[in-house]
Amino acid sequence: MSAHPLAPPAPRRGRTRGSVLAACVLAGLALGYTVTRIGFADFGEVHAMFTFADLRMLLAFLGAAALVVVAFLVLRVRRTPGRIHAGVVPGAVLFGTGWAISGGCPAIPIVQVASGYLPAVVTIGGIVVGMYLSRWANARYLHLDRGSCDV
Amino acid sequence: MSAYWPWWAGAVALATVTIGYTVLSDRSLGISSAWERVLHWREEREIERLDARLGDDDALEAALAAATRREFGALAVASPATDAAPDPGPAARPPAPPRPAPLVTQAALLVSVFVGGLVAALTSGRFEVRADMGEAFGRIVTDNPVTMVVVLFTGGVLVGFGTRLAGGCSSGHGLSGCGRLRPVSILATAVFFGTAVVVSLLLGGMS
Repeated sequence: MSAHPLAPPAPRRGRTRGSVLAACVLAGLALGYTVTRIGFADFGEVHAMFTFADLRMLLAFLGAAALVVVAFLVLRVRRTPGRIHAGVVPGAVLFGTGWAISGGCPAIPIVQVASGYLPAVVTIGGIVVGMYLSRWANARYLHLDRGSCDV
Repeated sequence: MSAYWPWWAGAVALATVTIGYTVLSDRSLGISSAWERVLHWREEREIERLDARLGDDDALEAALAAATRREFGALAVASPATDAAPDPGPAARPPAPPRPAPLVTQAALLVSVFVGGLVAALTSGRFEVRADMGEAFGRIVTDNPVTMVVVLFTGGVLVGFGTRLAGGCSSGHGLSGCGRLRPVSILATAVFFGTAVVVSLLLGGMS
């Protein structure tokens, strides 16, 4: 019996704790630096992206997604499981609304505070409360099997 | 104050971060799941403790095979007589996804985002401690400090609740997930981006 043709060529060895930590620190530093230099911490720039008044950041995001698609195909990156469950669309609607009115997706209020926008601490507080509420609501009422909790 | 990066520089930099993290860690970059795991650190620590006690599946399997060889000889391990369909071995099995990144690394990720943002703001001359969210927020959303706090908190709750319900955010679904062409991520990204466009156009129309 031979390996499935779509399976990766060799069994993967797990990364060590140290290399995952290094990846997180490097990626975190680079992500914080990058999104700030692109302008994601600036509510005016985010609003201009969502109203198509300025296509610069939209193109940056779409261009990044396109480059990642190509790179992942070339590198044959492992597929992650993902199922369309009942929470995806409502969750995305709530998230899109929150991003549009506060200017923050989960990483952005962190760099807003780092840029000196002190009220973004309130956005972070809201995210913390929203995430606790989400887990509580799912356990108590929604009972959605969201599959792997990690995307 | 230096200008924001042109679109292509932003695209290359964001893609490099996503690809670099994926290759170095063999995991998917996702800021909202990092948040969720750090916030639920008690449960996460308990899971890590149990996981460590159970140990590595491969190591366990190897130890069992070695013990079987000692007891029954190499033939017992090489040709299991009772198996109708013999296990093709670890190489041919679909690879198990790696365990979630250790909790401490997710906390380090969030702290590093802050440090990276601080370095960018300081070196580009954009760092300025202020009690508002900038001129555009005051013009488009509100310039009343109390309303601002209410809007930011409400927005934060929607972001926190919504990203976990949808299973990801702009990094997890938008870059890592769309990069893998996962249908769920493409759907989530289209919906959250589309919603943000509609809400922003309504906000712009009201101001």
